[in-house]
Amino acid sequence: MPVILRRAGRMDSRCERLIGVALGALVFSGFAGLARGDEADLRERIARIASADKEIRQGGIEAVTESRQAYGQLLPFLEAFQLGQIYRYGDRVVWCPALETDSGGNSIAPLSDPLTGDELVHEGVRLRVAKKELEGISPRRRERRVIQILVRAMQLFAVEPEKRLAAAVKMGGLRKLDALPDLVLALEQEQDPKIRHAMRESLSLIQLAAPADKIAEEVRREAARTLGTLCSARGGALLKELLAPRDDASQPLPAGAALAVYEEALAQIESYQLKVRLLAYVFSGLSLGSVLVLMALGLSVIFGQMGVINMAHGELMMIGAYATYEMQQLMGHSLPDHPVNAYYLCALPAAFCAAAVVGWLMEWLVVRHLYGRPLDTLLATWGIGLVLIQAVRVRYGDNVGVNSPTWLVGNTEPIQDLSLPFNRLFILGLTAICVLVVYGLMNFTRQGLLVRATVQNRETAASLGVNTRRADGFTFALGAGLAGVAGCALTLIGGGTPDMGQNYIVDSFLVVVTGGVGELAGAVWAGFGLGIANKVLEPTFQAIWGKVLILVAVIIFIQWKPAGLFPPRGRLADV
Amino acid sequence: MVLPCLALFAAVVAVGCGGTSTTGSESGGEAAPTTEGTGGATTAPESTSAAPATESGGSSSTADAPSGETVKVGVLHSLSGTMAISETSLRDVVLMAIEEINAAGGVLGKQVEAVVVDPASDWDLFAEKAQQLITTDDVAVTFGCWTSVSRKSVLPVFEEQNALLFYPVQYEGEEQSLNVFYTGASPNQQLIPAAEYLMSEDGGEYKKFYLLGTDYVFPRTANKVLKAFLKSKGVADENIIEEYTPFHHQDYQTIVGKIKAFAASGDACVLSTINGDSNVPFYKEFANQGLTSADCPVMAFSVAEDELRAMDVPPLVGHLAAWNYFQSIDLPSNQTFVANFKKYCEANNLPGGAARVTDDPIEAAYFGVYVWKAAAETAGSFAVDKVREAVYGLEFDAPGGAKNMHATNQHTHKPVYIGEILADGQFKIVYQTEGLVEPDSYSKFLHPEGDVPAPTGGPKE
Repeated sequence: MPVILRRAGRMDSRCERLIGVALGALVFSGFAGLARGDEADLRERIARIASADKEIRQGGIEAVTESRQAYGQLLPFLEAFQLGQIYRYGDRVVWCPALETDSGGNSIAPLSDPLTGDELVHEGVRLRVAKKELEGISPRRRERRVIQILVRAMQLFAVEPEKRLAAAVKMGGLRKLDALPDLVLALEQEQDPKIRHAMRESLSLIQLAAPADKIAEEVRREAARTLGTLCSARGGALLKELLAPRDDASQPLPAGAALAVYEEALAQIESYQLKVRLLAYVFSGLSLGSVLVLMALGLSVIFGQMGVINMAHGELMMIGAYATYEMQQLMGHSLPDHPVNAYYLCALPAAFCAAAVVGWLMEWLVVRHLYGRPLDTLLATWGIGLVLIQAVRVRYGDNVGVNSPTWLVGNTEPIQDLSLPFNRLFILGLTAICVLVVYGLMNFTRQGLLVRATVQNRETAASLGVNTRRADGFTFALGAGLAGVAGCALTLIGGGTPDMGQNYIVDSFLVVVTGGVGELAGAVWAGFGLGIANKVLEPTFQAIWGKVLILVAVIIFIQWKPAGLFPPRGRLADV
Repeated sequence: MVLPCLALFAAVVAVGCGGTSTTGSESGGEAAPTTEGTGGATTAPESTSAAPATESGGSSSTADAPSGETVKVGVLHSLSGTMAISETSLRDVVLMAIEEINAAGGVLGKQVEAVVVDPASDWDLFAEKAQQLITTDDVAVTFGCWTSVSRKSVLPVFEEQNALLFYPVQYEGEEQSLNVFYTGASPNQQLIPAAEYLMSEDGGEYKKFYLLGTDYVFPRTANKVLKAFLKSKGVADENIIEEYTPFHHQDYQTIVGKIKAFAASGDACVLSTINGDSNVPFYKEFANQGLTSADCPVMAFSVAEDELRAMDVPPLVGHLAAWNYFQSIDLPSNQTFVANFKKYCEANNLPGGAARVTDDPIEAAYFGVYVWKAAAETAGSFAVDKVREAVYGLEFDAPGGAKNMHATNQHTHKPVYIGEILADGQFKIVYQTEGLVEPDSYSKFLHPEGDVPAPTGGPKE
């Protein structure tokens, strides 16, 4: 074994290939293609591993570990075994991927074949038995690690690329020397560049972390260089660990040539990681900014066009979030079993409409009687907000969980180590669309013209035949609808709670006040400005002080520029 | 132009204070006015059992309850405001226990009558309502409180009146009042075993710890205890990061980015005392930035089945939580308890109905009622001082298995379980302590010299 390790460690890319081929031919022949083992033999193996007898069980596991190259077909079984999904039913070994519950609240287990994964059929229907009749045989605590290592080694050669990637990454984290031969061979056969990258990284990590008497020094130096070229974050952590002073005499500090190589590699990694970190800050600032803009947009429309301080704005967002939840329930979307991703596309207009209707009713029933009395509208809308909170609490009683559609779960990595979550990208896009739509609506449509005319001079507009009542109602409904869309988008980041609006109203007002009343551009600039400022402050000052500093900064800013970034100009300023 | 601007600014500052200063969700100020308008008293869910819960009107109740046909007990849980989400379930289970007890003949031959009040998540109101329960309604015992600030608020009232409170929630410790029995976990019954597990071979041998919490008393004290413990185990300072977020924090991008860098070495975990609705954005961001429980597990101390019921669970699957009870405990007594609770919620048309779940505080609130019953029967009296003496060292069978009360320090001997979150919002138990863990009212890690204060409250001269 040490011979192979040394050779494996010293390889350059040509060597890598040669050794891989040699190893593949000699030892692991037929491993990758999932050997067509004798089915009876495979079933015999499964029976042994699932045995109640400790000796037989451990012998069975050892035998499969020894010649894992021949037993690739056992991987699904072993994974299920690890997850505790394998049961004994009478004298058969069965696989139950997921339990069901019948109307009486009892657990029912639909059964599958542990080797092929096919559904077991009894008299023409899927075989289902009560959970009580099954005996669970998940690995004992001591055996878990063995099974885990075995499964991971086999996963390096799995058909599914994501399994191979996860296994490769995990091996680098464990830094177990005995994983090296498997990794070398897997790297040789791997085609996918991303997985190759992870495998090379893990290989180098294992070599670099190995004790001096197991792996030659020049191999470890080479591994450090590789990690440097790969700009590996995990490599950086390991190098720092190796370079840190310590008491343990068995692991001497690197010196001479090794020290220089290590430090150079570390510098290379850190300069790359710094760049990535800065990019990540910029992205999270933009992302937070887009959320703020989306939340403030509706408020800005209502406040800017009508001069109404709508304290129920947060509750209109909450209505949007609950409309999203209703849509999810209506279309039966639930993860992970029944994804109905289309629900979200229906939820966006539904959230808009629900909030717009509530907003329109608010305007018609209450707000219109209070025009010109800003303090009264403030209190009235605050009260409406409380009523809405309690009404929703009575109806739903509780928080609700909104499952994101699957295409908004996860992230993309445009460059290594910079992950951009899909939900955040989606909200950035949604904000851009909403801003453009509002801008277009206000500036290029007849309805927008009427609204602007009403804002500029209500009496003149009315005397020229503009129905100012309808213009008011339209504006209020539009602002409320935008809040609903924001609420729908917020379910992608957080959850739905009856008082969620209270969390957002402060931020929305901050944006509107900083941006300047009545200007769309003001809300956009202030939103992104506050978002980025927040994200610049947060890493240094932690979340709490970051928020305090932002509030202080806004207070000072308002003293300096009471009308915000974009103050109303010309005759409008006098209104 | 100036006037509206000023008005708006005043409003923004006022809102800003409400949302970010004081203790956010604990104060729950926004909901108080609506419930206060109706007098703050709330009826229990329609119950047709022998002794229905009464509406506490204040003036209508009789003063000498223990000598009548029934014995009154107080239920002091928020039914409106921010904490209603968690506390309503405790009200439900306490009423269920009382219904069961009444059906079996009551306590000392008397039917138990529950007086339910709603302190509306407002800690000032907690003290007021406690006073009302003790002096006006003359209850024999009170079951209530969730947040530490509400408990601290009612503590002087219970001590002044020498009344009895059963407190069912895990908390930060550093307290021991002779007028309170703590049926939830003390820090050494939840925090320490969880950290020990993560450091063990089975738990993954983690060496770096990110202590992340919401900014209020429980996480701050809990992390103080955890830090002292980790340092005593030789974890270096640079391998412990402590960070707090405001209540209702929604944007975890930066923090998850930091965790990602911290966990690059592959031996880091998160110990989370994040409270309430912030959990959802935290776990979502965690999953969306590509971190999994295999890279860096999150051990939560404030996420139980009842919270998971209302969450987007898939991002949480595989992460861990430490409690003294899980619904999935495989005992006949627990199965009966779970089935009964579901049946009770359904029969009384409570929100959620048969889909309701049990969790650690629910179990603790439930057995608290039975502990009081057993103690009163042993003492042969409802007098607080006699009942207190009878509680010490009391052994009893809870749904999650046999437990017993500590002989002196007011807390409960409990087992500790670590559970892994499953896709259906339940936990797979991956570890449990052998036997029961003795509770510390004052943490040994914060008082290494044993210099603990004397218990407060107790009998009046």
